[in-house]
Amino acid sequence: MRVIWWLATVVAVSLISIVFSHQRTLDPLQNLSLTATSPLQNGLRDIASPLNDIYDGIIDHGGLVRENERLREEVERLQQQLAEQQDAQQRIRELEDALEVKQSRPEDQLLAANVIAQDPSGLKRAIAIDRGQDDGVDEGMVILSRSGALVGSVSRAYRDFAWVRLITDPDSAVNAQVNVQAQQPQPAATPQVLTGGTPAASPSPSPAASAAPAPVGAGGGPAADDGPARGVAAGDLRDDLVLDLLPTDAHIAKGSLVMTSGLGGNFPPGILIGSVKTVQERPQSPFKKAGLLPATRLANLDTVLVLISFKPARLTAP
Amino acid sequence: MSYLIAIVIAWFLALLNASALPYVQVLGVTPDLVLIFAVCWAMVRGQDEALFVVPLAGFLRDLNTSDPLGTSVLAMAPVVLLAAAIRLRALDTEFVPTIAVVAGGSLAYGVISMMVLAATGQDIQWLDALLTVTLPGMLVNALFTPILYLPVHWLGHRRREGLQGAGRLTSPL
Repeated sequence: MRVIWWLATVVAVSLISIVFSHQRTLDPLQNLSLTATSPLQNGLRDIASPLNDIYDGIIDHGGLVRENERLREEVERLQQQLAEQQDAQQRIRELEDALEVKQSRPEDQLLAANVIAQDPSGLKRAIAIDRGQDDGVDEGMVILSRSGALVGSVSRAYRDFAWVRLITDPDSAVNAQVNVQAQQPQPAATPQVLTGGTPAASPSPSPAASAAPAPVGAGGGPAADDGPARGVAAGDLRDDLVLDLLPTDAHIAKGSLVMTSGLGGNFPPGILIGSVKTVQERPQSPFKKAGLLPATRLANLDTVLVLISFKPARLTAP
Repeated sequence: MSYLIAIVIAWFLALLNASALPYVQVLGVTPDLVLIFAVCWAMVRGQDEALFVVPLAGFLRDLNTSDPLGTSVLAMAPVVLLAAAIRLRALDTEFVPTIAVVAGGSLAYGVISMMVLAATGQDIQWLDALLTVTLPGMLVNALFTPILYLPVHWLGHRRREGLQGAGRLTSPL
């Protein structure tokens, strides 16, 4: 009988607490807890991170060697692309000056934040950062990795801390578009758009688009006049990150870069999300789906950047 | 005094769960040390202490996650019932039943957490969550049980010795 009364009390108190927490009444308590424990949590993470690296190095030595080789090749390729892009950017700047066109995106203002905790439940993919409302962080703000790739958005902001919903969280959805990767096999006669084309026909000066025309029409061949294939990059417990709602006639190649499209107003356009890992052909489905590899390793983030200058549209469901 | 020890351990494990443990991924999931500790305490120390320690461990866990406060308190409540049901069966060993309660408690915890998250507006992929998080979590938590069971059993044994004088030496298993 005593256990039944205990159970009834625990259930009642829990439900009341959940309701209050959902209504944000208990935010000061959680903020206080995170404030008090953040030094210890930082210390524990600092200890665990190198240990994890050693463990990974031991159990996956062969994989690391292969990855190093692959990364060296990729660095070479990217350096070559960078050289081409710098030339292209110079030309764009000259053309913009000539046409008196202003950049659509002002200089980004970024705020560095340390990751102090990670949601351990597995049902959600979320991290806590040591920046909150007092630092200008607000809900919906975009979080980037140190290299500028998309990490997620602020799901809950406290006074001194914030929880960030990662792009791999099942609740996350980002409007995205696929660009054809530069190393993708191209016909020998394909011209370099920015170096040989007219300014009016040039796509945006993103790294991927600088070397190859945007994808992609029915039939699989590159089509410079078609727009990029648009879809929604959503978190998935099984595959981490998937690109869904793609047109069935879009020719998506493995390795193609995926970026934010800017549609919906919650994320600025042109932020790298990841690359296409697998493409799922579903004959009966009206849409195509692709598995994505996030551009940044989300499991072991130490520092992230909050994009302070971009204000999300905060679209809500009707 | 034993409650204070339990609170300190649960608090430290809750911190560990949110900071260092995410680096430890077995079968794609992180072991839930707070849940394992609560089960071990309930099995070794009995129902009276479990009624206090289990909800408190849940509360401390909630303070370090993005879940609404109260989620873990609610989701860990079945641990007390499972532990009580198993302890009624006067078994020779506590260790094997503890592993069974950890596995059952992990399943109950996962299902209740999903229900709470769904009720608070989260998008829950039920089948994927069961197959990729909850069921592997049962196994992983069971595998990690000895790490916490042995110290908790040792603490409990010392307490019994203090109450009854030097007792006979028994195996923790």
